[in-house]
This record gives sequence, C-alpha cells and structure tokens, in this order.
Amino acid sequence: MRFAFLSIALLTTLGCGQPTRAQGLVDGFMRGQRKASLAVTYSQETYETYYVNTTETRNPNLGTVTTQAVNLYGTYGLGYDLDLIISAPYIRTEASAGYWQKQEGFQDLTAALRWEAYDYKLGNARLSWLFALGYSLPIQNYVSDALVTIGHGSRNLDGRTMLHLKAGGFFLTGQFGYIRRGQVTLDRVVNYYDPSQLNPNSGSTVNVPDVTDAVLRGGFATRHFYVDGWIQKQTPYSKGTDIGPGIPFPTNAIGFTRAGATLYLPIVKKFGLTGGYSTTLSGQNIGKATRLSGGIIIGI
Amino acid sequence: MKTYLSFLVLSLLLLLAGCKEPVIDEGIEPFTEPATTDPDGGNWRPVVLKSAADISVPQPAAVTSNAYQAELASVKNGLLGVNPEQNTAVTYWAAGGVLRWNQIARQLVAKYNAVPENDGITASSPITDPYAARIFALLSVAQYDALLVTWRAKYQYNRPSLIRQDVITRVPIADVPSYPSEDAAIAEASYQLLAYLFPDEANWLKTKATEHKQSRVWAGANVPSDLKAGEDLATAVAAKVITRAKTDGFGSALNTNWETLLAKAPYDVTWKSLEIPARPPMAPLSSQVKTWFDSAAVARSQPGLPPATTSAEFQKALTEVREIANARTREQWRIADFWADGAGTYTPLGHWNRLAEDLVRQARQNELRTARTYALMNRAMQDGVVVGWLTKYRYFVPRPSQIDPAIKTATVIPNSPGYPSSHATISAAAATVLSYVFPDEATNLNAQAAEAAISGLYGGVHYRFDTEAGTKSGTTVGQIAIDWAKTDGVK
Repeated sequence: MRFAFLSIALLTTLGCGQPTRAQGLVDGFMRGQRKASLAVTYSQETYETYYVNTTETRNPNLGTVTTQAVNLYGTYGLGYDLDLIISAPYIRTEASAGYWQKQEGFQDLTAALRWEAYDYKLGNARLSWLFALGYSLPIQNYVSDALVTIGHGSRNLDGRTMLHLKAGGFFLTGQFGYIRRGQVTLDRVVNYYDPSQLNPNSGSTVNVPDVTDAVLRGGFATRHFYVDGWIQKQTPYSKGTDIGPGIPFPTNAIGFTRAGATLYLPIVKKFGLTGGYSTTLSGQNIGKATRLSGGIIIGI
Repeated sequence: MKTYLSFLVLSLLLLLAGCKEPVIDEGIEPFTEPATTDPDGGNWRPVVLKSAADISVPQPAAVTSNAYQAELASVKNGLLGVNPEQNTAVTYWAAGGVLRWNQIARQLVAKYNAVPENDGITASSPITDPYAARIFALLSVAQYDALLVTWRAKYQYNRPSLIRQDVITRVPIADVPSYPSEDAAIAEASYQLLAYLFPDEANWLKTKATEHKQSRVWAGANVPSDLKAGEDLATAVAAKVITRAKTDGFGSALNTNWETLLAKAPYDVTWKSLEIPARPPMAPLSSQVKTWFDSAAVARSQPGLPPATTSAEFQKALTEVREIANARTREQWRIADFWADGAGTYTPLGHWNRLAEDLVRQARQNELRTARTYALMNRAMQDGVVVGWLTKYRYFVPRPSQIDPAIKTATVIPNSPGYPSSHATISAAAATVLSYVFPDEATNLNAQAAEAAISGLYGGVHYRFDTEAGTKSGTTVGQIAIDWAKTDGVK
C-alpha cells in the first residue's frame, strides 16, 4: 500500500525570512519503480512574535509577517529502491506594519535521491532503513539579507538517514539529517561588532550555519486515507549569530521545535487532496509561526 | 555492495559534520614597505597643535651608549624567542597602526550603534552619523598631530632605524629613524581618544594599545626607549585633542529640545517619526558642533528650501520614488543594501573610512600620510554632517513614506528628516577629499559617491532632490577641506 501524499515536503520560509524545510524533504514511503507523483500545494504561514536567540520578541514596526508559498513537488521511482525527488517553491512574504517592501519570487530548487538500503520483516511488520542525499540552490538571486525575505540564498547539501516501520495501516518514521549550508555573498560588507573577529570589516561573504534535523512521524496510511502527526527539531550545528541590528540574517543560528499533522484523502484513483497544519513550540532566531497548507496530488 | 554504499553515505555525513566553518571569512593583507618616508613631515601643518614643535620630545640616549646597546641586544635576542601569539600580534599590527586603530574605532561604532529598545523611552543613544563623524574625526586628528610630533623628533635626533643596525625584522618596516616609535605614538593617542569617547571600553583598548606597542619590539622594529618617547608625546597630544573635544559643543547636540526648531520650520508639511511608537529624532542639534574648517564657509554650503509638497516639482520627485519602489530591480536593492549602513553597523562614515583603507594600502602610504588622509577626510565628513543636520532640522522635510504610506522601502527609514541626504553629503565630502589625495582614483571615487547618494532613492527613503542637495553641499565642504590641505606643507 503506497501513497503519494507528499505534501509534507513543502519548502517554505519561516521567521525573519529564514527558510526551512518543513518536516524534512523526504519521508519513509518509497515511490516505487517507474512511478511518479506530482504535488502542487499552497501554504500560508504567519507569525507575530519571533525569537531573538531564544527570547520571544514582537516588533511593532513589522506587525504580522505572512508567507505564502506555492510549491511544486515531484517524485519519480528510478528503481524499486531508489527515488528522485524534486521541489521548487514560489514564495511571497510581507509584513503588515512598517514600510518593508514585500519579497516575492522562486526560492530554491531542491533535488534529492532516496535510497531504501535495507528492509526487514518483523512478523507482520516491515522495517526499512533509508538514506537520502539532497542538494539545493537558489533559483534566482533573491535578497537574502533583509528582515522580510524569501530565503537565505545558500547552496545546501542535505544528508539523512531514516528508519521506517510499517505494520498494517500504522507507520512510524524516525529520521535524522545534517544540512550543510554554504556561503552567501551579501550585498554589503559585514561590519557588525563581533569580539572574536580580528577584522570584521573585510568582506561580504558569510557562512550560513549548518543544522541537524530530526523528525519523528507516526500515523496511518490506508487505502482510504492517510493521516500523520509529527514533531521536528532542528538544531544549529555550527556557530552562528543572533538576530540583531546590523547582523546579517543569513548568519543567524536557527533552531526550532515544531509539531504538526497532515491529512490526505484520495478522491479518484490517481488524484487526491491534502491538508496540513503546524505550529512552532520553541525556536531560536526564527518566527513563532503557524502554518496551514493544502494541495492536490496526482499519481502517475 | 549495499553495505559499502551505506558506509559511504554515513561517512559523507560525518565528514560534512566534522569540518566547522568560520561565520565570516576574511582575507589576509600582504605586507608592504611604505612608498615614502617624508623626512619633512615634522614641518607639516597640524590640526589642533599650532606646530609640531608645541610638544617637545627629550633627546634620546646615543646609539653608542651602553643603555641603548643593551636595549638593542635585548631586542635582537628577543627575536629568537618570539612565540606564536606574539607573532600573530606582530603581523596584525604590521598591517598598519593607523589602519588598525581606525578598524577598532569602526568596530566600536558598530557595537554602540544600536537602535533604542522597543518601548520608545530608552534613551540609549544610538551612534548615528553625528556621533560617528565626531569619533572618526577626533581619532584621526589625534593620530595625525601625534605623528607630526613624532616625525619632527625622528629627523631631529636621527636615531637610525633597526634595519640599519643589522636587525632582521619579522615584517617589513619603514626606513625612518626609530626614535620615537610611530607605532607607540599611534597606539597611545588612539587609546586615549577612544577611551575618552568609549569609557566602558578603556580596559580593552588599553590591552590593545599595550599589544600594539610591544608588537614592535617583537617585530624588531623598535627598542623600548623608542616606545616610551612615542607614548609620552602622544599623551601630550591626546590631552590637547580631548580638550578640543570637550569644548566642541557636542554636549548641546544631545539636547532633545527640537520641537522649538520644528515650530519654526518653513516647509509646508513637516517631518514626523514613522516608527511605531514614534521616537524623537537622532541628535537633532548636531549642527551646533564646532566645525574643523572655516565655519562660515561650511554654513554657506547649506542648500536652500526644497520645492513645497504642493508643487508640481515635488509631485514629480515623489512619483519617481513611488515608481522605483513599485518596480525595484535587484541591482537597485543591492545598491540600497550596500550603502544602507544602518543600526548595528559602522555607519556611512565608517564605510568611507573602510574605502579609504583600500586606497591607503594600494598607495602604500606611510603612517604619517595615512593619518593625514584620514584626518582630512574625517574632518570634511564631520563638517558635512554639521551642515546636513543644520539643514535637516531647519526645514524638517518629510520622508517619501510619510507623504505616501504606500511607498515601501528596501532599508529601514532613518528616524530623521530626509532633506538633504546625509549619505550624499558625507559621500561627496569624502570622495572630493580622497580624489585630491588619490587623483588617479577620482573617477572611481566619484562614481562610488554618486552610487551612495542615489542609494537612498533606490531604497525609497529619499527624493532625488535630497540626494542632489546633499551631493552639492558635500562637494563644497570637501573643497573647503582641500583648500586647507593645499597649505598644509605636504607635497
């Protein structure tokens, strides 16, 4: 029983323009050889407060920040144990107060390979061990160093491993990943105060901190519906900055704990609807956002 | 096969996680000897002192004396035992004492350039243009005058440089007489000025100054008595510069009684703070600060009243801002971002100090010339700020978004009246002075100043007439500085 419910793989921005891969790019369900699916989803995400380091802050000159995204997400089974996943979001983000210009455009193109390396039979249940490797790069040269932005503009390498257990309709997936984020060249020279920098006024290339990413997801996937609940924890791995005046946004150390749920209903044979909700439980240099999403999924 | 592949994927993950990256990448500057030594430097015209002879420097022990020979031997022996930490200090300061202290000042400006807290009451004055302009000018003037005294004493006593005494220095050094040490003079003058301006940083600055001085012994460039003489003369110079700072009228610039000025403003619509909650403007009375150059001439560079908001001319200017804001290109964003230099940064003043740094390095200016370049530019920029603030708080011209709230900006809207553009004034003043010092760079500098000026229009925070008025008065102020420089005795 396989489902093409891949709405969960939305790419979007959260909080002070820091984009995050919501719930991870990949899940534990393999697509299957020479099968494909295409998902088109829309999501809307808002926050009024954001975390400066881990302290909640509200900026009246920003008001509520709303991010809308339309995401295209496709998977294709290159082999029975190997999938190709591609995603490209179009994002618009704006603040309700103050005079910040809204930002709009294509964010990052992501491609990933997912490989089901092992699978074991445990009575009626099946346990599989998967690996995934993804790469993403900005589609266009958007502004990454601003209060309201659609992404941080880095090229990223994402490696992760998953354990996926399925017993009847029930499933449980645990995954752990490491996202290597590359350097970004800002529009300006970096010159904020940092006591550890010998000469902080010397360039405009900065590093986007790497993160580790853990997702636990459980739910039911049956012929008639799919439902899951998940919790995701992203933690900054390399040194980063905190949101502050003059500090480049891409260098901020971003972390969060977020929880959500997804529902998928097949309507006709190869066509279904999906919806999702998520909220931020705690964060670091990111907006305390809630998100609603919905979309259609076509299996081919 | 599978095992190998999974092993490979896992190793790749670990490998990626294993290498940590720095948050900011920085380049390493090559070391060069200065292009000139300027033996006549002691006769150049100082700023605060009447002449370099105002401060007397005691005669040093003769090169043949036992005391000096003992010092020299100890420096030579010490070179063998320099540890890696000391070596780091040597190379750090060898990039240029004036340049390094200017960088330190930029760091401190960035550190204290914070926006007030959201409650709107906190009076933590952010370092905005008037503050930064004064900091950079006072620092450069102290460095310059101290180096004039240093140069005069160097060629008066002619204690040969250590490279002429068979010392193999760790870094290239200027072939100028070693007594008194120019580095000690720079370190002490800079430390004293910055500690006066940033009292909370005094201890940290003292550590830096001590390291700077010692680094020249570790480098084999100076003996301790060279340092002592430099330090003493700089203390005397710094005291005079601080006396000027205490009487330059900056205290009254912090007076927040600006509403009386607002009531007198002749413009038809007057500025109001666009922040939520509204805040009083930044250092509104900075125009009362004493100028470095002829104050009457500086005041004459003030632009006149801009077209009234009801005029067709104004409406045309407003339409231009709106059209740019509605269809801002990525390049316009870049320019707006590049020159924004807002809260938390070293301000536009720091930006021009940084640009000057590149030119100084390229021209391989010695410490004295570097200090002159900075002192000229920073004084011109501060006077530019004075005339800019005089105009801003005379007319109180509103920002575009105040007239039309639909105008969205690429940068934070500065909490001050818009006319004239401070970026334009500062940049024109700096570019004019730097073009005089580095004539080959004039085209490039003027292009940069023009870009800095237009950045406010691209960002949506200025009308074109703000930038034009700023450029015009900044250029005039720069010219006043050049007139001064033409008679300062530098060839």
